[in-house]
Amino acid sequence: MKLFARYNRINITATILIFVFGSIAFYFVLQYVLVRQLDETLRGEQQEIVEFVKLHNQLPDIQNTKHQWITLQPTMFMQGRSRAKSILVYNKREDEQEWIRQLNFTVNTSTGMYSITVNKSETETEELLKGIILVTIGMIGVILLFNYLINRKMVTRLWQPFYNTIASIKEYHISSQQPLQLAKEPIDEINLLNESLNQMTHRIHRDFHALRSFTENASHEMQTPLAVIRSKVDTLLQETEGRKETIQQLLSIEDATHRLSKLHQSLLLLTRLENRQFLFDEPVDLENIIETKSEERKELLQAKNLSLQLNSVPVTLNFHPHLAEMLITNLMNNAIRYTPEGGSILIQLTTRQLTISNTAIGEALDTTRLFERFYKTDPASEGTGLGLAIIKQICNAAGFTIAYQLTNGKHQFTIQFIS
Amino acid sequence: MVDYLTAAGYLCESVVTYHEAIEKIDHYDYNCIVLDIMLPGGSGLDILRYLKQDRKTDGVIIISAKGALEDKITGLEIGADDYLTKPFHLSELSVRIAAIIRRKEFNGQSIISIGNMRIDTIGKTVFVNQQEVELTQKEFQLLLFLTINKNRILSKNAIAQHLWGDDMDFPANYDFLYSHIKNLRKKIMQAGSEDCIRSIYGEGYKLQVS
Repeated sequence: MKLFARYNRINITATILIFVFGSIAFYFVLQYVLVRQLDETLRGEQQEIVEFVKLHNQLPDIQNTKHQWITLQPTMFMQGRSRAKSILVYNKREDEQEWIRQLNFTVNTSTGMYSITVNKSETETEELLKGIILVTIGMIGVILLFNYLINRKMVTRLWQPFYNTIASIKEYHISSQQPLQLAKEPIDEINLLNESLNQMTHRIHRDFHALRSFTENASHEMQTPLAVIRSKVDTLLQETEGRKETIQQLLSIEDATHRLSKLHQSLLLLTRLENRQFLFDEPVDLENIIETKSEERKELLQAKNLSLQLNSVPVTLNFHPHLAEMLITNLMNNAIRYTPEGGSILIQLTTRQLTISNTAIGEALDTTRLFERFYKTDPASEGTGLGLAIIKQICNAAGFTIAYQLTNGKHQFTIQFIS
Repeated sequence: MVDYLTAAGYLCESVVTYHEAIEKIDHYDYNCIVLDIMLPGGSGLDILRYLKQDRKTDGVIIISAKGALEDKITGLEIGADDYLTKPFHLSELSVRIAAIIRRKEFNGQSIISIGNMRIDTIGKTVFVNQQEVELTQKEFQLLLFLTINKNRILSKNAIAQHLWGDDMDFPANYDFLYSHIKNLRKKIMQAGSEDCIRSIYGEGYKLQVS
């Protein structure tokens, strides 16, 4: 539920409750005030009659109106304190029951004691009350409606900067060239959010680039001496005048240099993969890569007398072209390296998954450790032990899943493109 | 590197800082410049930009240890002719330089003669005594690699990397290379050329010409 919808629900419930109770209270207060006013008029009338009687010792002429009339009646008893009360009577003229307010008191005149009742119709008061209540309820309704409409329109507009910020964060990628630059907004809270995000990404950006240039510089500093060693070995090789031992030693130095350099490149790649330094946003034709890479390995396959079968359909994925090649070559190199002479390799590519299986010797590999760095089933093996770790990391970064199983005497690696 | 290239018959000059490099390219025109990206005093990429601004036609090979893809792409976009990642075999550099120089000086330089053999680098054909020798693509590349690095011992690793690229996982014995060498020797000998490819104790190969 959106923040505003929730807020609105609470707000409207509270407003309605307040208005309902307020209206009820308002009704009773108003009624009380109006009745008091009526009573005052009645007492005024009583006052006038009593004073008239005191002065003239006889009853005044009584003039009745539609809304106020006086009835008198001889009585034997003197009534004490008089009280006003409301009673329901039948009105012949209007043919309906109506409330009237009456005040009863006695006066003593020369012609005897009279009980006098001053009556006043409450219809006017009631109508006034009705009118006021109607107007009030109408206004409450209008206020609620307008409140709702204004909130709806305003809130969408007011929250727009927030949604803009969210959209920018979603699009932001750490390896992009610029830190996040969110605009200044007139609303304090959004502004605070934007500023904090700007600062945060700025810091991350700085640290990230420091780290990145460190790994790259470290790599440079390491590859350069390796390049020097290799070029010196190349030069020395020409000057050996054909001594077998020297040549063999120089070549093993060269081989070690090559391995070290490969190892270092692989570690660097793993670091960059873990730092999420690659964008997977280029369409890559996987089938094409597989075909090219198998073709390149034709002689290697022939040398080991391996058969390679390829079942594929055209598949284009959003990927990183260099990493796609890495993935395929690592899988193929792995398969070629570990298939015994005369064995077979099968590559199957569908739009959903890539499967590569090769003839296995021995038992299934340890799936818990298989993708670990430097894990080797045979410690004497020449591989760097990083091939599968790289494959796993590329899959992770691309959002693919990779699984291994041993089926029908074949090692089988399956990469699912959609997880 | 300078020693190796001088021995290969190139006239080489080398400088180690950015400013020396700018000075040199202001004064001279080179057939080919081998450029390291990380230089004291500036980036090799800036030198490349400087060259292209001046519309110099010097061929440029960028060398970088970074292996960073961005550098490679930027370098080639600015107008470098080739890109090598450290560490590399000097024999590989030598072939790349030869290829660039051939491309720059198109006038008849596309034919390399060695003994009674003529290699046409554009038509990718080989003639021994005016007789064409049928070679596979790999055999042709192998012959060219050996020829450009003639009289030098080339390790099997260097040859394999040149022919199959760097992303391959070569078996330690490089047996598959042997059959290519054997076939190449057989073909050029049958065509009447002398057997100039020497095996160096099975560890490397050399194309020997006097």
